[in-house]
Amino acid sequence: MNRIVSRHNRLLGVALAGISLVSVAAASAGEISVWVWDKAFNGDTMREAGEIYTKDHPDTTFNVDDTASQDDIRAKLQTQLLAGSTEGLPDIVLIQDDVAQKYLQSFPGAFEPLSDSVDMSVFAPYKVAAATFDGKSYSIPFDSGVTGLFYRSDYLEEAGFTPEDLENITWDRLIEIGQTIKEKTGHQLLDLDLNDTGLIRMMMQSAGEWYFNEDGSLNITDNAALKKALETYAKFYQADLVKPVSGWAEYTGAFTSGEVAMVPVGVWITATIKANADQSGKWGVAPIPRMDLEGSVNASNQGGSSWYLLSSSDNKEEAIDFFKTVWAGNEDFYQDILIKRGAVGSLLSAREGEAYKATDEFFGGQPVWQNFSTWLGQIPSVDYGTFTAEVDAAVASQLPGIIQGGDIDAALQAVSDQAQQQMQ
Amino acid sequence: MTWAVFRRALVYVLLSIAAFVSVFPFFWMIIGATNTSADIIRGKTSIGGALLTNAATFFTQVDAPRIFFNSAFIAIVGTVLTLIISSLAGYGFEMFRSRFRERIFALLLLLLSIPFAAMMVPLFVMFSQAKLVNTYVAVIAPTVASIFIIFYFRQATKAFPRELRDAARIDGLSEWQIFLYVYLPVMRSTYAAATIIVFMANWNNYLWPLIVLQTADNKTITLILSALTSAYTPDYGMLLFGTVLATLPTLVIFFVLQRRFVEGMLGAVK
Repeated sequence: MNRIVSRHNRLLGVALAGISLVSVAAASAGEISVWVWDKAFNGDTMREAGEIYTKDHPDTTFNVDDTASQDDIRAKLQTQLLAGSTEGLPDIVLIQDDVAQKYLQSFPGAFEPLSDSVDMSVFAPYKVAAATFDGKSYSIPFDSGVTGLFYRSDYLEEAGFTPEDLENITWDRLIEIGQTIKEKTGHQLLDLDLNDTGLIRMMMQSAGEWYFNEDGSLNITDNAALKKALETYAKFYQADLVKPVSGWAEYTGAFTSGEVAMVPVGVWITATIKANADQSGKWGVAPIPRMDLEGSVNASNQGGSSWYLLSSSDNKEEAIDFFKTVWAGNEDFYQDILIKRGAVGSLLSAREGEAYKATDEFFGGQPVWQNFSTWLGQIPSVDYGTFTAEVDAAVASQLPGIIQGGDIDAALQAVSDQAQQQMQ
Repeated sequence: MTWAVFRRALVYVLLSIAAFVSVFPFFWMIIGATNTSADIIRGKTSIGGALLTNAATFFTQVDAPRIFFNSAFIAIVGTVLTLIISSLAGYGFEMFRSRFRERIFALLLLLLSIPFAAMMVPLFVMFSQAKLVNTYVAVIAPTVASIFIIFYFRQATKAFPRELRDAARIDGLSEWQIFLYVYLPVMRSTYAAATIIVFMANWNNYLWPLIVLQTADNKTITLILSALTSAYTPDYGMLLFGTVLATLPTLVIFFVLQRRFVEGMLGAVK
């Protein structure tokens, strides 16, 4: 009998040990916590911004947590806001621009309007528009996803073109150039992942269009820009200029290994491309082509994210002051994050700084940052709406048919039907 | 004769394909842990020389002792509690008659069909009101009464000889003593198999810990690995090194209990 008792005690001991190890995390006063998803890029950038602020305000410290992926952060945020429990949520959270409206509209009151206290006119207008809901803007814009056409200058030269041949061209012209490059060098023009609608969205935004009308209803079947974008997408395949890839590793692998000649993508890819130091001098960046369509320009956006302040924060005053002094006012900070991490911020006046004027030997001495910031000012603003992810999925499901020459109008109808169902 | 040879060959071919499909990812993980990110993307399938670099990167980026302690604590305590509670329940359901027994059991099985995602928000509200968010308890508590394991023990108990229980009762043992001294030793294999199943489920548990664990120092290795994949420029070598480490404990548990696991799955009572 004693043995049984002692066994019970041991079990109880284990259980109690579990309970005694319980620790409820309480944010200490004056500590601003931030959730980000990439240690090297947005994590280190925010840490640096925090250090700058802490230097002048020793009572305010920062705790930047990069131990969750972007999907994880979305899942956590969504569950907690749905549960109506803000316990354990950070003060500041990073959200990608194209999903921001979903949070702002689904959880009114969860985020603090910032346009009352911070002057939004200092930031790139399209970034502010992405976080504006009911006349108020809720975010401090962070990195821009301004797009460029990154290309292998050595392949271009081998095919008999100069960098000027890529300036201010249409996608149709790029296809012609791509065919020559393939003939002369044997390299495919670009690599595409059929599950990723990035290129299509990029093309669509260059014409100032998106999946939705102003009232939030679907703009698919009569969307000339989307139709043109899908046609162009199909042309790449029909001209046999695409290396098909699947997943992020293969996607980046195809251009960092020199397999394909070009990649039209957001500026945040720069670090990935420059990681291959042996390719220095063999790359260049041109403005992305425009569509052969009224209103389409040689500038667009892909990705990019912004900082949101949660209304549940205990440190709102400090956080807003931090936003004002560092993110909306410190131009030197923006020079620094550009040099160190290739982060193109959204503060317009920062473009006048020294770092932005510098040329880059990796890109054959081009003033790449100057170029990107010029294009940044030209990006058409669009309203990303609340259901971008749902429509994206619908578009992606039609792509395999489209690249085999399927009827585009029928595909648009199918996208519209599928998205309609998802939005109910 | 030729038909028999052909059939045999066919079986071996199919088994080889199945073996390849299940072994290759494992092989790839180990090879990847020794290569640089660039080599992995290129599809290199031979052992490389970057193992130490990958290990160094992993240990500087991840607070490994703390993270593995979190995972181990949650998995071990969770497994022990699950086995105690669910085996008692399974034993009880089979051994004690009651008017509502089958109805309650049917209700439990019905609950199995509710996806966890549907219960997540209410569950979070409960733990938040109990002030238990971001604690080990919040991760472990919802898993300890595992319907599947209760079902599994009930099925196994069907093969438990009633004569043993009756004999023990005649010898004057209380019901608790029967469970501890007669049932437990006889059902060793069942416990071993259940240990593997529950430990793996706890160690790999993702969604609920993701939601309920808030701070970096409380997270488990599965969550940290997921975060490492989302970097703009993921270091696949370091990532695969971390994956190898995260796989080791389940592997060790499996090999230690392997023989009993097979017995347990066959429902053998000796």
